[in-house]
Amino acid sequence: MQNMHARVLVVLAMRNLRRHLRRTVLTASAMIVGGALLVFSFTIGDGGHEQWIDSGVRLGNGHVTVERPEYRVSRRIDDRLPADVRRAAEQALAAPDIAPHVIATSSKLSINGLASSSAGARPAQIVAVDPVAETGFGMVDDQILEGRYLEPDDRLAAYVGAELVDSLELRLGSRFVVQAQDTEREIAGQLLRVVGIFRSGVPAVDQMTIHIPLTTAGDWLGSRNDVTNVGVVLDGSAATALVRGHLERALADPVTRGDARVMGWREADPALAAAIAIDDFGNYLTNGFLFVIIAFGIVNTVLMSVMHRRREFGVLQALGLTPRQTGAIVLVEGLTLSAASGLLGVALGLAGTWYFFGDGLDMSGIMENIDDMTFSGAVIDPVIVPLFAARRLLQIVAFILCIGAVASIYPALRAARVDVTEAMKFDR
Amino acid sequence: MHPSTWWRIGWRNLGRNRRRTLLTALGLGVGYFAVVFMVGWAVGISAELVENATSLVSGQIEIHDAEYRPERSLYDTIGGREGADVEALLRAIDADPDVVAAAPRVYAGGLVSSGEATSAGLLQGIDPSRETALTRFLDPLAAGRLPTAGAYEVVIGEEMGRQLAVGVGDELIVVAPAADGSLANDLYTVAGIYRTGLVEFDANTAVMPLADLQSLAVLGPDRIHEIAVATADPSLAGAVAARLGAALGAAERGLEIAPWTELNPVLTEYVALVDSMYWIFIVIIFAIASFGIANTMLMATFERRREFAVMLALGASPWSVVGTVLYEALAIGVVSLAVGTAITAPLMTWFYTAPPSLAWLYGNVTLQGALLTPSLRVGYNVPAWSWATVGLLVTALVAAFYPALRAARVPPADTLSGL
Repeated sequence: MQNMHARVLVVLAMRNLRRHLRRTVLTASAMIVGGALLVFSFTIGDGGHEQWIDSGVRLGNGHVTVERPEYRVSRRIDDRLPADVRRAAEQALAAPDIAPHVIATSSKLSINGLASSSAGARPAQIVAVDPVAETGFGMVDDQILEGRYLEPDDRLAAYVGAELVDSLELRLGSRFVVQAQDTEREIAGQLLRVVGIFRSGVPAVDQMTIHIPLTTAGDWLGSRNDVTNVGVVLDGSAATALVRGHLERALADPVTRGDARVMGWREADPALAAAIAIDDFGNYLTNGFLFVIIAFGIVNTVLMSVMHRRREFGVLQALGLTPRQTGAIVLVEGLTLSAASGLLGVALGLAGTWYFFGDGLDMSGIMENIDDMTFSGAVIDPVIVPLFAARRLLQIVAFILCIGAVASIYPALRAARVDVTEAMKFDR
Repeated sequence: MHPSTWWRIGWRNLGRNRRRTLLTALGLGVGYFAVVFMVGWAVGISAELVENATSLVSGQIEIHDAEYRPERSLYDTIGGREGADVEALLRAIDADPDVVAAAPRVYAGGLVSSGEATSAGLLQGIDPSRETALTRFLDPLAAGRLPTAGAYEVVIGEEMGRQLAVGVGDELIVVAPAADGSLANDLYTVAGIYRTGLVEFDANTAVMPLADLQSLAVLGPDRIHEIAVATADPSLAGAVAARLGAALGAAERGLEIAPWTELNPVLTEYVALVDSMYWIFIVIIFAIASFGIANTMLMATFERRREFAVMLALGASPWSVVGTVLYEALAIGVVSLAVGTAITAPLMTWFYTAPPSLAWLYGNVTLQGALLTPSLRVGYNVPAWSWATVGLLVTALVAAFYPALRAARVPPADTLSGL
């Protein structure tokens, strides 16, 4: 009996949607366009952010980085990662359950020093790397302007940012000197030769960065094979929490001793996290406004249909339907309308965005003169490949259902409150 | 019949179903607010970016020797190796009516050491009183005071202070390659700490009086690398730069006078792009809103089909029926505009005069090197605001067009006979 009632309510609701097909289609159209825009803007937005993150972490310390807690503030060579922690971190990253997510790991010694030539002196960020590991970590191949990247047998070789090369008036093959504090706290100098020149597009990087082999740094600074951080680039930012958690468990001892700290990219690069937050906030606001407008449309349509059907509801209640059931008819009507059209919109949005999945959405037309724009240290690529994340799609669907439910509540209450005798009078 | 009659009929009809009118007007009004606010927020963001790019640490116009950029070599001072009469240059620049401040600067690279820790830095020599009139980063300082000339004092960024573990009153050794090829070094006291929020700048730049840096780097008193200039408004920079070029004889003296638009072309293009993109918001928001109006008008005309039949039977032309429906739509537009303005004006005034902080949501970001702090600061984009108004009224009319045509095609006899 109960089941039959529910079915009847649904049938009544569906029939009414069909009865005013034009009105239903118009209301649904707003929802369909809104749903499609929602999917489009978020998959494109998420895809863009993923690219920012990838570009930011490859120029920095990876999606997840392990370093001494003091290093983040001091940037001093004294705060190197103990050798056993480095080994443990590297081993943990090779574990079978996270290895599939790992694209590249690189252990580096990053310090700040002074680069000078006969043309002058400039502060420099000196990054000592294992050349083979770094090739997969940074986007080295895309960035070389002249020469080549460091190679395993290199000694005294330097791979230098293009703007630093300019300001020191260097060329491929030129020699220059870097000075920095060594492990004995003395200022030590080192002669280097430019083997490669790169441009990342991020001014702070191109003005300051010098890559040298880890072995050269070890001899120069007395730091042997030590590094200041172990960084890992993952197959997507979504794996950050998993890998970070895994590393924290594997390094539980050194972390509690205060010898190591495991950080995700959000902590390591708060400016990048902020850039994404501001962009997302703008996206939430725009879509929020759109759906408020759509919700008013739904309220209006469903409410009007309730007003027109006062007599129908009066009859239904006179035949024994409770106010709750009368309201349920309207709620089902509103929910069905918004859910069906919303989901159709989502499907259309997915199909539309899917088109850009292969080659990406090329915004370089409108960004004609602003290629190489940087946002908090990430290079903005004008070609955006959308990102389809299951969680985001669930959020979108849940949001659409909520809007539908909220917009139907008031009309449903009005229908439930119909005054039976008043509604059935003939002299309206 | 006089058009005002059709307008009255349309207007009156709104009052007949107040709830419906209000809901429709709310939808459109929220759309209007969305357009004005989102565009205003984008304008506020670009205004802050430009402000910070042109008055936080750099000026709106920079004057260098023509050879100076992009290498920024220690030797390429204004006027070449002989230097220039800095006082005379500054007098000539100050004489321009739109110039509000001008400040000379010297730059050198060096190592800054606390003994325990050493950091490489960019040394910037400034004229403290002129610099504080031009840029904001030294005024107010986060701690301490400005350096005194000849007293071997420096002001460093907060981040550099943290890395070197020094505070106000502590001593620093500065080592710098000098113009004569020697390696100069001296002991300085930290007089103050500044904070810009630009992490790299705060970690790298140490500021000292101009003459002190000239003597450390073995540059004569006539040798400076840059004169930074501020005008009353960033948008004047281009015109003032051109005027200064003529006044100073830039071409003959080998000077480069560059406004910020030339120094940071990407930011300039970004601002221009943002300023011209408001139509995207207008189109999307009002397109969605138009469905709501079309629906409302469709329902309203359907309810009134007997009324239209009477009008047609009494001799009204179909076009005057279209007219009355369109007048009704226009009236909805006017009501929506009133609702929209009632939402928009107070909020925009609030966000404009006292922008709420968004620090709970995100931290500082930099766009193309320019700092952006988390706040809901908005600017007024008058064309966008005007187009939103036009867009709202046009949306109301366009969305009502189909319902109006249907109303005009009501068959009078059938409708009146109750079929």
